[in-house]
Amino acid sequence: MKPTLSAPEAAPSRGRFLNSGNGPHLEPIDIGHDAYMALIEPDTAFWSLVRKDALADTLANPSFRAAVAKKHGAFAKEMQALRFGLKPSAVYFNPTERCNLNCRYCYIPEKMRKNGRHMSQVRMFEALERLKLYFKTTMPKGRLPQVVFHGAEPMLNREALFAAIERYGNDFRFGVQTNATLLDDSALAFLTEHGVGIGLSLDAPSPSIANKTRRSWSGEGVFEAVETAMRKLKGYPGFNVICTVTNSNLKHLVALVDFFHAHEVPACMLNIVRCTLPGARVIKPDDSTAAEAYLAALDRSHELYKSTGRKLVVANFANVLVSILAPTARRLMCDISPCGGGRCFFALAPDGGLYPCSEFIGLPEFRGGNLFKDNIADVLQTPAFTKVTGRKVEDIEPCNKCTIRHFCGSPCPAEAHEMNGDMRRTGAFCEFYEEQVRYAFRLIADGLADDYLWDGWDKDATTTFEWGM
Amino acid sequence: MKSCKVKKGQAIIACRKACKANGTGLSHYILMDRKAK
Repeated sequence: MKPTLSAPEAAPSRGRFLNSGNGPHLEPIDIGHDAYMALIEPDTAFWSLVRKDALADTLANPSFRAAVAKKHGAFAKEMQALRFGLKPSAVYFNPTERCNLNCRYCYIPEKMRKNGRHMSQVRMFEALERLKLYFKTTMPKGRLPQVVFHGAEPMLNREALFAAIERYGNDFRFGVQTNATLLDDSALAFLTEHGVGIGLSLDAPSPSIANKTRRSWSGEGVFEAVETAMRKLKGYPGFNVICTVTNSNLKHLVALVDFFHAHEVPACMLNIVRCTLPGARVIKPDDSTAAEAYLAALDRSHELYKSTGRKLVVANFANVLVSILAPTARRLMCDISPCGGGRCFFALAPDGGLYPCSEFIGLPEFRGGNLFKDNIADVLQTPAFTKVTGRKVEDIEPCNKCTIRHFCGSPCPAEAHEMNGDMRRTGAFCEFYEEQVRYAFRLIADGLADDYLWDGWDKDATTTFEWGM
Repeated sequence: MKSCKVKKGQAIIACRKACKANGTGLSHYILMDRKAK
């Protein structure tokens, strides 16, 4: 029998040099900083920032090369585990197909949102029982799985939802993502008393802009309802607001950051619009213009922190920054490949349908099975799921040559498939992610990274590499 | 604790941390370490 050796074992190179043989492979990239550029080992996500006038010396520095080479195996293993070794710990639970809004970029088909069904309370309890049993097989001891009630608008099925939270409060950590229109005082009291995470959605700091994208079926905006909920939730730590970045609100992101900060929102996300369904592509912003506006908003969040001492964490950016500083400490799993869809979490439709992610609800090809009939572990192995869990940057052009591929992850598979015709394509944006990563490196070079991160983000982390000064 | 110690003008900045990976979230909902209750 022929021996099977790994590629580095088979090659007799001792790895004495950078970028040849078995030596560490460090690629330089311009991060747009006056003094520093980055040297990155793409496969392991190892990075260093090197003073431009010291670049040649660094590339030929045997101590630096040896230090990087020494950690190569551990970092490669870490990335392998992060990318392929995780098990589901969350479910995005749609308790209804219906929504009282008709937002322009929604990925759930209009017919479903208009005429769809609620999941009954009995079914909801049954679903949570089944999920509880399943997560017992995947969750480490001491951690609860997360159930995020999602939509459509979950609060339309409020009675069943609250009964479920009441009954299963010791079995799951619950969250609800809502458009805020149905959050009356009693709903807010219930959710906050039960420690439920509350995510709201708002796209701009004024009704005239916000209501362009988020509005009811009759065209009425919902700005006031969201602002009212924000005021009432002030001081509640499990509260956040999501903004979808489109060509309608691009110019208002800085003002939106001001608005969120003034309302003491602890964390927000400025998510670039997902172009999975054609309706969203109409309001897709230009890639580089979106990047510019987004970075201006990040700048503003920092100015506000410096002037007030209070952070507004832009969580999707913070996650990219964390993915550089400590890849395993990331929380969101969109900007890694394979993404978290179908491997870290999955989505449940009101009829029991299981999908790798909410983004795929409405695409029958990605329905892997039914929670009430099928075994979840088996569903995760169906083509509907493996098409997503098998999508990796190494198979995508130009990501397979991109130095920052493990800080971006080439999101999103639903978008790539629906908009660009194949899982092995990129999604709708590229420069937007490139610029975020470059910005993150500039912050690290200037010693400012912590200003953008949530407090205690690294409390469970240990240092695995630190180059001496 | 500083996430990455940086001294003004240092030639090479490089650091990395690790912890048990438990990322779960997707971009529709913020999953942070913050406890709601």
